[in-house]
Amino acid sequence: MFFRQRAASSIALLATLVVGASAACSAPKTERRPQAVAFVRDDFGDTIRVGAPARRIVSLNPVTTEMLFALGAGSRLVGRSHWDLYPAAALAVPDIGNAMQPNAEAVLGVHPDLVVVYASPSNRAATVQLRKAGINTLAIRDDHIADIRRTIELLARALDDTAAGKILADSIEKSLAAVSARPRPAKVPTVYWHVWDTPILTIGHGSYLDELVNIVGAKNIFGDLPEPSPQVTLEEIVRRNPDFILVGPASAKKLRESPLWRSVPAVRDGRLLLVDTLLVGRPGVRLGEAARSLRALILKDTVR
Amino acid sequence: MKPRVYVALLIALALAALAGLALGPVSLSPAAVWSALFGHGDPNAVSIVQALRLPRIALGIVIGAGLGMSGAALQSTLRNPLAEPYLLGVSGGAAVGAVAAVSLHYSSLAFLPIAAFAGALLAVTLVLLVARAAGARGDPRVLLMAGVVVGAFANAAVMVLLAGESADSVRGALWWMMGSLSDATWQGTRWIAIYVGIGGVLLFALGREIELLALGEDPAAALGVDVERATRRVYLAASLLAAVTVAGAGLIGFVGLVVPAIVRALGARSVRSAMLGAAIAGGALVVGADVVARTVRAPAELPLGAVTALIGVPFFLMRLRRMT
Amino acid sequence: MIRFDDVVLRYPRSARAAVSHITLDAPRGAITAIVGPNGSGKSTLVRALLGRLLPESGAISLDGTPIAQLTRLETARRVALVPQREEPAFPLVVRDFIALGRYAHGGVWSGETPADRAAIAQAAERAGVAEYLERRTVELSGGEWQRVRIARALAQGGDALVLDEPTAFLDVAHEMAVFELLDALAREKRAVLLVSHQLNLVARFASSIALLHAGTLAAFGSPDDVMRGDLLERVYEWPLVVSRDPAVGAPVLVPLRHRAPR
Repeated sequence: MFFRQRAASSIALLATLVVGASAACSAPKTERRPQAVAFVRDDFGDTIRVGAPARRIVSLNPVTTEMLFALGAGSRLVGRSHWDLYPAAALAVPDIGNAMQPNAEAVLGVHPDLVVVYASPSNRAATVQLRKAGINTLAIRDDHIADIRRTIELLARALDDTAAGKILADSIEKSLAAVSARPRPAKVPTVYWHVWDTPILTIGHGSYLDELVNIVGAKNIFGDLPEPSPQVTLEEIVRRNPDFILVGPASAKKLRESPLWRSVPAVRDGRLLLVDTLLVGRPGVRLGEAARSLRALILKDTVR
Repeated sequence: MKPRVYVALLIALALAALAGLALGPVSLSPAAVWSALFGHGDPNAVSIVQALRLPRIALGIVIGAGLGMSGAALQSTLRNPLAEPYLLGVSGGAAVGAVAAVSLHYSSLAFLPIAAFAGALLAVTLVLLVARAAGARGDPRVLLMAGVVVGAFANAAVMVLLAGESADSVRGALWWMMGSLSDATWQGTRWIAIYVGIGGVLLFALGREIELLALGEDPAAALGVDVERATRRVYLAASLLAAVTVAGAGLIGFVGLVVPAIVRALGARSVRSAMLGAAIAGGALVVGADVVARTVRAPAELPLGAVTALIGVPFFLMRLRRMT
Repeated sequence: MIRFDDVVLRYPRSARAAVSHITLDAPRGAITAIVGPNGSGKSTLVRALLGRLLPESGAISLDGTPIAQLTRLETARRVALVPQREEPAFPLVVRDFIALGRYAHGGVWSGETPADRAAIAQAAERAGVAEYLERRTVELSGGEWQRVRIARALAQGGDALVLDEPTAFLDVAHEMAVFELLDALAREKRAVLLVSHQLNLVARFASSIALLHAGTLAAFGSPDDVMRGDLLERVYEWPLVVSRDPAVGAPVLVPLRHRAPR
């Protein structure tokens, strides 16, 4: 409560720190104070005090875990989610369990001074619980390529190392630009991105993967659907007849063996492209690498 | 039942099947559908019609027939016009069996019905035990209460089985629990049809016993029925049918409730004619409901079980009002 | 033809036997009646005949064959039984209902044979229900319903007919019609075994009466042997007198007011 009131009175002074925040997210802002204490607005719209660099961090999101390592704070991590598997050093960090609806008690058990969670409604309750327990909890919604810089700079603030944040964000943008600068092919290949099969889920407009597909010079056949992960029917996939199907290794086997999926020409003709879902799946520090691998996969074009 | 009623039911089934062929998230002209049926024209249309819509209609007919026959037999045997596999918790039990099999990686459609069958039998036994413990096996409401309780228990068991799975698998399992024909293939449909055929023949063979059980246990015994044995056999066959439908298309409620009632209203005099009529009408209802499920929110699909529940629940309430 | 021989019956998980040491015989060509107060064990004997309760000791036999050695089907071909209460779960057409009596005579897939049709028509004629064969069971009056059920038992065939309170809820005329029908059936060499509360009618029509009292046989003999004031007063625990009907000559039971009217 105290923090909130202070923040409200000083909102006019808040400086914009982030470029290109998406429409879905409010732009976090910070305020420099003489004693290096700052306030940031997180993606739940709450104002969090950061300043004294965090020493014991729990990150329950593969993207932020990756970023914290890239920012040189890997050794300060005392907990991660079950799904945070990169970099390899992350595996040595204690597994706290779910990333969604995390177990607040397990988080408190490792005595963090900063917890980073994904800002989804299902994480709201745990966030409130952790804050009630006096733990600084930062909820970040990083759904888009444009969120990467913002996310990195938020984390860098919490680590009190904004210079490192700027270097990291700049390098990610540079490597991405190298891919997007490549020439668009004369005929843009169309792709269907297979996310899940019961029910069939794919990527729609406004998802990070749809952005990535466009950047590498291809076109998502369901890019016209507004939801980020729309449910679609097999019939519609047959009709839209993609040139390629992008699929993770586990699902690829299922697709190849299913008599149903054989009605999709791209499956029948073996135009399945195996995607490294761990690398490509999330907008993180390896975005440039992800874009390069996707460009090579779809357009057989190796970007140096 | 008069032959012309069967003809009318068959026409309804044919119309539902035609709608299933012609309508879908992708709109095809009748001419395109017609030539695609024979493998001509746009290869994508051929794929859509032959590989996606036809097996889906076939599976819908088989599932509907199974649910209809199962409901008709259970209603007579339990002497309860509200009895049907879903409300009795039998389908829920089958779902537990199927989910257990899948989580142990036995998910072929040859085996899945057997696992579902085991779960369904367990549920039937449990329902009858609960109803008997309540001391009123004859009271239709107590039986339904027992069914609802066992169904809730089955739901809980499924959740426990899924607890260790990833969010995506849980979402997949929940989707399947709401019923869907979207996984229909010819190969899977063949297995389901074989099992439904076995269950259907068993129930028809028991037709005369079911007829007498509908009079009550004492009259049935007086007329020569071995009540315990006949009842057990009906539960076995009806549970097999329910389990197979669950293995093939997930939980689809209320078809077994609505369809036998319609057929009786149309003048089915004997249990066998009610079962035959319910098999045809069940196919028509499921195929028709599936057309609704895959067109109203295209390209997304509604769960089929949700569509049948939207039809079935008002019907259930009407019946309940008339009963009490 | 139907014989109970020193039969003891006990319900599962019950400490006390429901009936003990009952010996009685229902011969062909006569009406044999089982009477007694509520809870005296009458319906328990019927359940045992249905094979729904097995004797703890003693035997129930048909023409000397214990029913324990017969299948339900074999028993049903010999003994047609009309249970006390019956309500079809779904309404039936009367003719279909009577046809269900032929269950024990058909196979799994066999349809209605000419013999079945003849038996159904004859039974309907005999029970006087031929004119409403196409009505539905829910549309019948109480009297019609009882006659339809008797018709089904007649279609079932066999030499023995067992009825559990066939005249409950019937008015005088319908009651008499049922008893006259049973009398005529008995004269055709059938064994008729009847459970009834109608002591006075039973005394007029039955050849012998078994009087049950708290699960035991208080008396078994001719109406004159059983319709004794002292005996009935003890069994029914109510003051009564037995006189003789001046018109028909049968013994008549007249219950008295417990306290003399002021």
